[in-house]
Amino acid sequence: MAALAAGALCTSCDKVSPQGVLMAGTAVEDRVKMSHLYYKEYLNDYEMNLDTKNVQDGEYTFLVGADSHITDDPGRLDEMLKIGLDGDDLLYAHLGDIADTKPEYYIVLDSALQKAKERFVRKNYVQNEYGRWRHKNNPYDIIGWDYNEIHFPFFPVVGNHDLTHNGWAMWCSLFHSSFYEFDVCVGTYDDGRGTVYDHFIFLDTASGTLGKTQIDLINQGVLDGNYFNEETGGFQFYRHTFVFSHTNIFRPSSMQFASTFSREETFFLLNQFEEWNASIVFCGHVHAWDEREYNKVNYLTLDSMSERNSPKPGDYLLRVHVHKDGSLTWERVHMDYVAQK
Amino acid sequence: MKKTILTLMMLAVAVVTAGAQSYRGVHQYDGEHKNEVSGYFTGGDNVVSGKFFGFEASYRRHLADRWYVGGDTQMQFWKQLYSFDATGGYCLPVKFGHLYFDGKLMINRYQRWGFTETVFNLSATWESAYFDMRIGESLIHFRSSKWGEKYGYTEPLTLTFGMGVNIRHRTNPWNIGLYARNYDDYYYENWNINWGIRWYANINRQMRLFGEFNVRPAGSISQLASRYEGSMRIGMKYKW
Repeated sequence: MAALAAGALCTSCDKVSPQGVLMAGTAVEDRVKMSHLYYKEYLNDYEMNLDTKNVQDGEYTFLVGADSHITDDPGRLDEMLKIGLDGDDLLYAHLGDIADTKPEYYIVLDSALQKAKERFVRKNYVQNEYGRWRHKNNPYDIIGWDYNEIHFPFFPVVGNHDLTHNGWAMWCSLFHSSFYEFDVCVGTYDDGRGTVYDHFIFLDTASGTLGKTQIDLINQGVLDGNYFNEETGGFQFYRHTFVFSHTNIFRPSSMQFASTFSREETFFLLNQFEEWNASIVFCGHVHAWDEREYNKVNYLTLDSMSERNSPKPGDYLLRVHVHKDGSLTWERVHMDYVAQK
Repeated sequence: MKKTILTLMMLAVAVVTAGAQSYRGVHQYDGEHKNEVSGYFTGGDNVVSGKFFGFEASYRRHLADRWYVGGDTQMQFWKQLYSFDATGGYCLPVKFGHLYFDGKLMINRYQRWGFTETVFNLSATWESAYFDMRIGESLIHFRSSKWGEKYGYTEPLTLTFGMGVNIRHRTNPWNIGLYARNYDDYYYENWNINWGIRWYANINRQMRLFGEFNVRPAGSISQLASRYEGSMRIGMKYKW
């Protein structure tokens, strides 16, 4: 009875498992500890994930989507992945709630990502005469023998619906870490000051709180990036910092009942974003578009791209253009997919 | 004697196992006293700020049988939260309990993060013998010292709701109960629903001990409602 009530309250959808909602799973403290261990061990993988041939003179685009809530129909996610591939976007960022409350939906998700990777590899990579993979446009940039060493540049944060059926086990088996950062090299300063990077930070806010471990790690500067590059012996500077969070900071209207952060955590985060000198903070969760700016930090909250939450075609994605001169623009990207009856 | 021992036992259990926040009890004006003053000690642990403690003080003045005005203030150390408010209300006696309508204008200074929050709340409370519920709306505005005077964020109207249940009739000299609500004395939130234990015990006709143990989760049930803050409060009320 309690499970039914909780299921009805939380989701009101027959594709959601009420049992799953109650049999929650791994709490934020454990998720962050696991993620941080993985991140420390495999930090290079995050940077290798990026095919930086698409960064030309510091100019590139990336595509952001939110709340796909995949069940058995991956149509909208397929469309997002195709739009990114067609648009030569450097990377995809997903703002969480990627799948919904049943383990089998992760099979659908995995299949969609594998197919998109195949298309991505066909478009951008080729095997040389020895069978080793390399970028099509760069014969010297050899990846390796193994197809699995080519990383598909899809970077998600975890959302609350990704957890509420013991889904963390499924989510982290695909994406490994919910708390990480990486840099994109966009050039060097002419005056020899060092290398210029853009900085991408992904937070685990699925539970509506960062939790003590994540706050401690943030306070220790774990996500601040490496300002001194030991390999080059030079300093690196961040041109832009982009932060990705599932839970939203601002509520678009009183009718949006999705929970936001508690007071103290809201203020802590707003200060932290300014300390990181963030250019844009991307949020999901609330299923409504919202855009505002405080103290040079832009806060963009995205609508849900799920065909169940947003059944009609609409502008559910966001493409960010980082221009050669360092300026930023963004546009909302239209999605046409309509669920099959 | 038996009653005194029982009361002391209840107090001891509540102090040890619970904590407190501010269940002063909502009381219709009895036609005799004009003034109520109360205060409590609070302490707890918050995910962001860590351990904290503080003090609170309140005053109520009954202008007439049904009208009252008052003010409250608190200081929470480590969290560096300083608050004060002005409040006023009207009580409408009805057959199965009482209806209270009240308004509050509150200012919170979160010194640690440099934010100032201004809140206006209008609520109605229905109190029956064993059960009470509260519903209202809050208008919340906050701004950072770094944002400058012109900039601030006004949240869309935030629904205020809460309910509580007592094990004894509300006119009893001691009571204990449970509650759930999306607000507290000095904040109103969205779907972060607090819950806890509350109690009071009258020392004599003029003095009352009260307390609460409050669990404040982050996020709604669909976000797993993770632990965010636990706190206790214990205080005393005096009327004359």
